[in-house]
Amino acid sequence: MSTTSKSVVVDESTVVLGIETSCDETAASVVMGGSDVLSSIVSTSIEQHIPFGGVVPEIASRAHVELLTPVIALAIEESGVADTRIDAVAATVGPGLIGALLVGVATAKALALVWDVPFVGVNHLEAHLYAGLLEDPSLELPLVVLLVSGGHTMLVEMRGYGEYRLLGETIDDAAGEAFDKVARYLGLGYPGGPAIDREAQYGDPEAISFPRAIPDSPDFSFSGLKTAVMNHVRKHPDVVTADVAASFQMAVVDTLVAKARRAAREVGAKGLALGGGVAANSLLRERWLMACDEDGIRAFVPSRAMCTDNAAMIAAAGWHRLRSDGPTPLDAGAYPGLRLPLVREGTP
Amino acid sequence: MITLGIETATQVVSVALGGDDGILGIVEIISGRRHAEILTPAIEFVCRHARIAVADIGAIGVDVGPGLFTGMRVGIASAKAMAQALHVPLVGVCSLDLLAHPMRHSPKVIASVIDARKGEVFYAFYLSSTDGVRRVSHPRACSIDDFNADVLARGQDVLAVGDGAHRYRDELEHSIEIADLMHPSAGPLVQLARTQALRGDTVEQSDCGQLGAGSANPDAVQPMYLRAPDAQINWTTR
Ligand SMILES: [Zn+2]
Repeated sequence: MSTTSKSVVVDESTVVLGIETSCDETAASVVMGGSDVLSSIVSTSIEQHIPFGGVVPEIASRAHVELLTPVIALAIEESGVADTRIDAVAATVGPGLIGALLVGVATAKALALVWDVPFVGVNHLEAHLYAGLLEDPSLELPLVVLLVSGGHTMLVEMRGYGEYRLLGETIDDAAGEAFDKVARYLGLGYPGGPAIDREAQYGDPEAISFPRAIPDSPDFSFSGLKTAVMNHVRKHPDVVTADVAASFQMAVVDTLVAKARRAAREVGAKGLALGGGVAANSLLRERWLMACDEDGIRAFVPSRAMCTDNAAMIAAAGWHRLRSDGPTPLDAGAYPGLRLPLVREGTP
Repeated sequence: MITLGIETATQVVSVALGGDDGILGIVEIISGRRHAEILTPAIEFVCRHARIAVADIGAIGVDVGPGLFTGMRVGIASAKAMAQALHVPLVGVCSLDLLAHPMRHSPKVIASVIDARKGEVFYAFYLSSTDGVRRVSHPRACSIDDFNADVLARGQDVLAVGDGAHRYRDELEHSIEIADLMHPSAGPLVQLARTQALRGDTVEQSDCGQLGAGSANPDAVQPMYLRAPDAQINWTTR
């Protein structure tokens, strides 16, 4: 059985269709040459998950089956290219929800077979790293990227395409998870990030001094902060919710910015980039730009559309992967626990 | 016309190609949970060795369940993508219909029974008819006890077929005869889908009121789950 998809010359005119279905976003995008976004369509099933206070995997998978073909059709139509011009199909193979990932992987491989073009499996985390370079191709390497979302909190040094070193990560909750849990506790609803962001506008960030976790380590921890918030509210039932939200948000942002800044200094990074869903937080964006300005280092803050999961970053990462590693075999599956491909410690 | 059949609703990945004179090729693999890994290479293999270019496929049939949710979705997502890219009709066929079809010469009531896990089965009853089988009950998901009660209520001889009948054979009513067939296959799927596609049927498959009713619009073909997501069940019953 032949399991190799077709190989192809990858250059500035190579058109990649990207597909993303790792969580609750159903997305497709057409990108030329790894950076020219011709279309990017994102549809989300978030409304269906709100009653449950978190993404329900089975509901997400069902939504992907329903939405993906129309989303792809729209992405191709809006790109203005004929489907015969598509040179490769890239899809997220992990990390993510297994049932959700499989819908995108099966779809991408089927399209690659019909169009007789390569299939490329993309690491979702790697794609988030490319989001910065996709929006600002003038960013120079090495770049330190802080990836903050509902599932991840990691600080990565990007030395070259496909060359990453993990500088620090969360030892318990992801930053987005902490936002969700605290928002739920404060009765602000789900998703927690935007809810806290909104509430914090009316509060005093200095009202309560919450602890900043493990200040001397490059790693993050948010579970102690979450407990501190709960203890404070229990002890002071009359506290103003907006003050709690603002003070909690300030503690998270302080920690994220301080560690990213120190890491950038230590590795001599040329730029400091933000990525992932939590990058949409207004205080984090503001403090990020301020910190980079003070340190005299290039800052990158993604557009809000690029913070959330999208397929343009998948197509862009797919273009790079195709160029460096070639096609992914058609017997690939989905890998829910996939990690970032890291270079070994001590490698120059 | 060349018809491709895709079957992934149970443990089996089955792919078949049919032409004007019958089946041209068929591949079946017991996959466990590796549907996504096996399906695309299997389609490529069948096409290559049957000497059919993928571009020459004129219609696609897919099993829309009920069955293993993840497996079904792999097949349906692949079928929709192929139908969309090839601009050909997609026909959704019910897994229970596919299991009953090979039993069409039996004088008994045919019960298609698919393992639904959690001590439950998906099932429907069929009677043999002039052009195959006719479904005589709505597909449903329920416990073995409820299935047995439904069989007894019919008061007729029943021939059960499918992995659900095999898995729970010791708990089934003693009067029920069990046929060897365990899994639906893409062979009958190709035949049923081809007939539908040639008739140009655009009946919604979701009402499941008719044997192998299909749709020419890929977007209209959806999985037949017969069960709400667990979270929703817990939500409405808590
Ligand atoms: Zn993400």
